[in-house]
Amino acid sequence: MKLKQLKEVLNAKVLYGDKFLDKDVKMACGSDLMSDVLAFIKADAVLLTGLTNPQVVRTAEMAEVIAICFVRGKKPQEKTLKLAQEKEIPVLVSEFSMYACCGRLYKEGLLSCDGLK
Amino acid sequence: MKLKEIVEKMSLEVIGTATDLDREVTGGYASDLLSDVLANAREGDLWITLQIHSNVVAVASMKGLSGIVLINNREPEEDTVKKAESENVPILVSKMPAFELVGKLYALGIKGSQDNA
Amino acid sequence: MNNEKKITKVQELVYELKVRDAMRKDIIRSSPDILMSELGETLRSNRISGTPIVEHDKLVGIISIEDFIKWLAEGGKDCPIESRMTRSIKTLYDDEPLVHAIGKLDKLGFGRFPVIDRATGKLLGVITKGDIIESLLRELEIDYHEEEIHRYRASHIFEDIIADKTILRFEYFVKGKDFNRAGEVSSGIRKTLTRLGIHPQIVRRAAIASYEAEINVVSYTSGGEISVRVQSDKIQIHVTDSGPGIPDVAQALKPGYSTAPEWIRNLGFGAGMGLCNIKKCADKLDIESTVGKGTRLKICINMKAG
Repeated sequence: MKLKQLKEVLNAKVLYGDKFLDKDVKMACGSDLMSDVLAFIKADAVLLTGLTNPQVVRTAEMAEVIAICFVRGKKPQEKTLKLAQEKEIPVLVSEFSMYACCGRLYKEGLLSCDGLK
Repeated sequence: MKLKEIVEKMSLEVIGTATDLDREVTGGYASDLLSDVLANAREGDLWITLQIHSNVVAVASMKGLSGIVLINNREPEEDTVKKAESENVPILVSKMPAFELVGKLYALGIKGSQDNA
Repeated sequence: MNNEKKITKVQELVYELKVRDAMRKDIIRSSPDILMSELGETLRSNRISGTPIVEHDKLVGIISIEDFIKWLAEGGKDCPIESRMTRSIKTLYDDEPLVHAIGKLDKLGFGRFPVIDRATGKLLGVITKGDIIESLLRELEIDYHEEEIHRYRASHIFEDIIADKTILRFEYFVKGKDFNRAGEVSSGIRKTLTRLGIHPQIVRRAAIASYEAEINVVSYTSGGEISVRVQSDKIQIHVTDSGPGIPDVAQALKPGYSTAPEWIRNLGFGAGMGLCNIKKCADKLDIESTVGKGTRLKICINMKAG
């Protein structure tokens, strides 16, 4: 699914990265614990999280995440957004809960990061 | 839907023996941040998390959640199991990551908060 | 253990490639009103074992050589192929990943799937197991060339330097308790290793391992050092701090074991997965720790993938 489809499914706002909306998202990972993200996420996945500190972007960089989507309408800290721009990682925010975001994306056929095992 | 049914359909492992599974699950909430669950989960929600320390039982019991599902095959700490049995909070374990489990629960009709509104 | 760590190129490709990349576009199609006898001729002269049936660009059915043989066996009374075709057809969309196609071929036991456009339902092509294998081999060949270039670049430095043994060593300093900058060192390590032309899969493992170690240094100590030694056959990452030490290393390696205070948990760490993650990424991990003195992590990653 294209990032812009994901944006529609989650009714999300793009805080950074309009120019990346044509990128392909293959998988998704929903977690608030960055070590869990590092352990399970695959490259080109979208990271859904309720955490908004800069470490989320650092983790995304290490795990080669394609985009970050904050759930529950949580606006990221300013330094988080700045770091995301620096690393060129798109940032979205959805008003839906983590649960609803996962449910909707899974319904649209997005794969889970477990898929390659 | 009854928790029993979900356990069967999602092939969840039931931890401990002393809790009753004959309760109604009215919604779902996915989060690994205890403060977030305290603030935003609703009574009757099934909680999907990878947190395994005994605080999860306290939170679930305080909010009247219908159960806790640990994802990625995480094993609860011993304390958590004991506390869960004494507080009558069901603890279940899934092999799936959060995204996939929530996707499947969602497809079963267990909705998140915005979806019921 | 190793299987879990390694994602094979083919596994990556079946997610990357779309059905449209592997499908055959120049396909023979038939219209529903041609006769069974004509179909026999079409199959024979084109050496195909079946054909999709299309009316006004829309896929309405599929007919195979088995249907044809069955018709012959039942007497072979001529009729439009419409009356012998299979109408309930399983199809694939052209934008689905190949892994879906493989799954469906496997599950349903069919030899081929018509591929249609998601929006218009128009028939775009047909995909068979053979097509999938061919497209994978094609991609692997391209990838193999890239791999060669990678390896050339990586070994380049080691060949240019005249010595019996060459070790590149980079050092980094990690500030304790400064969570805003935590991760900068690992970001630098990642970039450097990439520039050296090291395989992306190896870079990824090194970056994740050093990042988790860096987070530990920031979380629990007043600071430390990370040194990276790159040799032609391995990467060694040593993380040294003068923090409180780990009282029980075996316990600390258990998934979920954590002594993290709430502020670290609120940052999304401290769930007791850090050391496990490092171990998962490393080919070898040694931990030397003395309570009250500090901890040294020795992470070794072999250069050859797998």
